[in-house]
Amino acid sequence: MPSPVGRWLQVKACGLVQKSSSLAKVLLFSAVDQAATRRSQPEAVHCTNTQKIEKMGRSTATKDAQALFRTLHSAYAATPTNLKIIDLYIVFAVVTAVIQVVYMAIVGSFPFNSFLSGLLSCVGTAVLAVCLRIQVNKENKEFKDLPPERAFADFVLCNVVLHLVIMNFLG
Amino acid sequence: MAALETPQSSTLRQAFGNVLSVFILLLIGILAFSIRLFSVIKYESVIHEFDPYFNYRVTQFLTKNGIYDFWNWFDDRTWYPLGRVIGGTVYPGLTLTAGTLWRILNSLNIPLSVETVCVFTAPIFSAFASWAAYLLTKEVKGVGAGLTAAALLAMVPSYISRSVAGSYDNEAVAIFALIFTFYLYIKALNTGSLFYATLNAISYFYMVCSWGGYTFIINLIPMHVLLCIVTGRYSSRLYIAYAPLVVLGTLLASLVPVVGFNAVMTSEHFASFLVFIIIHVVALVYYIKGILSPQMFKVAVTLVVSIGLIVCGAVLAVLIAMVASSPTKGWSGRSLSLLDPTYASKYIPIIASVSEHQPPTWPSYFMDINVLAFLVPAGIIACFLPLSDASSFAVLYIVTSVYFSGVMVRLMLVLAPAACIMSGIALSEAFGVFTRSIKFQLPGVTQNSPVNAGDTGNVMQNDVVKTEKSEDSLKERPSRKNKKKEKDNVERASVVPKTEKRLSVLPLEASVIAIFLLVLLGAFYVVHCVWAAAEAYSAPSIVLTSRSHDGLHVFDDFREAYGWLRHNTEVDDKVASWWDYGYQTTAMANRTVIVDNNTWNNTHIATVGTAMSSPEKAAWEIFNSLDVKYVLVVFGGLVGYPSDDINKFLWMVRIGGGVFPHIKEPDYLRDGQYRIDSQATPTMLNSLMYKLSYYRFVETDGKGFDRVRNTEIGKKYFKLTHFEEVFTTHHWMVRIYKLKPPKNRIRGKTKKAKSKASSKRSGTLKNNPWH
Repeated sequence: MPSPVGRWLQVKACGLVQKSSSLAKVLLFSAVDQAATRRSQPEAVHCTNTQKIEKMGRSTATKDAQALFRTLHSAYAATPTNLKIIDLYIVFAVVTAVIQVVYMAIVGSFPFNSFLSGLLSCVGTAVLAVCLRIQVNKENKEFKDLPPERAFADFVLCNVVLHLVIMNFLG
Repeated sequence: MAALETPQSSTLRQAFGNVLSVFILLLIGILAFSIRLFSVIKYESVIHEFDPYFNYRVTQFLTKNGIYDFWNWFDDRTWYPLGRVIGGTVYPGLTLTAGTLWRILNSLNIPLSVETVCVFTAPIFSAFASWAAYLLTKEVKGVGAGLTAAALLAMVPSYISRSVAGSYDNEAVAIFALIFTFYLYIKALNTGSLFYATLNAISYFYMVCSWGGYTFIINLIPMHVLLCIVTGRYSSRLYIAYAPLVVLGTLLASLVPVVGFNAVMTSEHFASFLVFIIIHVVALVYYIKGILSPQMFKVAVTLVVSIGLIVCGAVLAVLIAMVASSPTKGWSGRSLSLLDPTYASKYIPIIASVSEHQPPTWPSYFMDINVLAFLVPAGIIACFLPLSDASSFAVLYIVTSVYFSGVMVRLMLVLAPAACIMSGIALSEAFGVFTRSIKFQLPGVTQNSPVNAGDTGNVMQNDVVKTEKSEDSLKERPSRKNKKKEKDNVERASVVPKTEKRLSVLPLEASVIAIFLLVLLGAFYVVHCVWAAAEAYSAPSIVLTSRSHDGLHVFDDFREAYGWLRHNTEVDDKVASWWDYGYQTTAMANRTVIVDNNTWNNTHIATVGTAMSSPEKAAWEIFNSLDVKYVLVVFGGLVGYPSDDINKFLWMVRIGGGVFPHIKEPDYLRDGQYRIDSQATPTMLNSLMYKLSYYRFVETDGKGFDRVRNTEIGKKYFKLTHFEEVFTTHHWMVRIYKLKPPKNRIRGKTKKAKSKASSKRSGTLKNNPWH
């Protein structure tokens, strides 16, 4: 088990940059189905020195990965639509945060308070949306007594407080 | 009679219990308020110590000029000639709270002065803190434990010492904010409600506004989250309680000018970000585990672990490089001195010199938390049966606060609420066990269903606990012994007409004796607390008293000196003294000072220290370069006041020597011993501090006997050449000197001396200590 994965690793390391951003999103927030569809055909391998030897190992490892992503995709497709909308909102917030970080890396971090408030507002709305998703999800046993309207009202209240602070801190 | 408990009577009992709890809480609040009033009764309604005078002055400014001027205030009457940005370096919570209180009261046409509001802010907020402790312990264990913890916190001497009426300092409101924040966190954790998480963030903001100790919260909560994750107690409620707090809390903390960008850049906050990332990873793992089948999950794990390790390794390397590049690894000096107790004495003598920053001695634990020191371990055990998220938090809180209190005696204050919570839990559990034992062994009564037994058991426990509490609250008025208490208890126990044969019950006599002993323990605690509040912690330290055979002497020398300064000097005159008295001088005498208790500029303090340690001429030069007109020293030799400047002199030498190497501490010690008698070194006998303290001291009793050092002084007859004495208070405790202006004309000296003395400018250039 370790060695095919190790070989698969070396191969993957060449094409890592394209995939790292999307993988980071998977790591940080809930599973995203766009990533799954995009990665179901991993052909872009450019390293030539190890190709022949690793082809067999690669195929089993990639087959595993493909199976994994297909399962993820099908499992995710079964979630209700309202949760998918919340997930889309979360992705939007995270992408906005990434764009802001990239922009800061390009033009510098002055004024720092504006950058901080912009970044934290995106992160904050993403976190609050995740909390809303947790509370609204029907499969969550702990929250079955909580009416979704109450969850949404809490979400709105918390967002109001967050954005009041952001407005103050934006400068 | 021993019938089934009807639903109506059980709700009636519940309602009765609730009303009784509210009444008890009210009594606890009154108790907390009144036990702190001893100094007002014994002395007067005056502000104590040193730091509260600064807060008082800032509050005066706020009430007079409004919040915008306060926020942008640049104070030019301290740290002359540097000034101090008050808006950006003060924790505004306390002053804003008192200012708001004053404004509300005045708008209701209750014309209290600012001083009165400032003096009584601390007792009011200690009542609130007791109620917050009730709420917190109720979330952890239940109503009985909550009431006990609240009663204990109302009286615990450690908290009283920092929140008496008149002690107008940050901790007065900060401890309330601390307990309340913890309560809201536990409530959010227990209920999973986003509403409480929002309130938690707002309460954390209030804490950040109030005290530098907010870093304790922002490190304890992530530690607890990590503990829960590691022990397998991760749940979505944990995520809801923690993640919004981090985002909102960081933002709100950056809003406070004192903290500013430190909220994201110093190491004190990194723990929260790290755990933020960890909790997201864990949440994601749980989510994917939920939607995948087990073997697919295994594949996912290997894939993610391999990729994730690379990414994490890269990020971690960058972070470590950034942190390691700063010499203190990103931590501030005060936090480092907490983590490494020997740090301050090696690198920052100012932090090491503050008496509050020394480690506590063993007796101070018994003095400050008394009986609770025994009850805390019992409480820790009680928290483990059963272990819940909230009780694991309580255990973590007590363990960390015990460690920090061992480093700095000032942090005993953070230990006090934790100890009260633990002891409340322990006491209430103990009472529960004993009263259950008694109830179920009372002879001649049968029982029907175990449900009702549990119900009445609870109410029974409440009744007994409340009896003890109301007796205790009666005790603080000077009533006599506790004979009627145990009778009351046994009566109450025998009234309940139900009993049942149950296992794991203690023998009846042992339980009765145990309850009696516990009540006696509580009585000792109450007596000690009242004594500590009345005798030990109610001294305003600006007014001193002593009892002798001919009655009570009151030493009001400090206010006498500040009053003299206020009325007999120009408004723009600068006064130099050691930094202890800076705040009091600016607040009461309204004069500009050179250094004050904020101690933010070590070089400036070292300059004053060097001046105090140098001979007269050099000291005159230094003070003249700072435009100083008056020098103030505190001298306790005539009356035996031990905290005077001669006792603090070695710290002046050390701090001055840290910046100006020509001041060497061994020059002032004879054979390693610090003396001021005839065996003292000439450097010591010629220093400004010696001369200003003992000038004309021999005229008091003919021999110059110093009552603090218990010797006769070394140099008795000397004249001052560059200073003149302008005021000495009644008991010689404060002595004020004026700098003599330089002579206009030197007679009979050579050209070299004339050019040296004729212009101050060239004189200061020559002997300028800054080169």
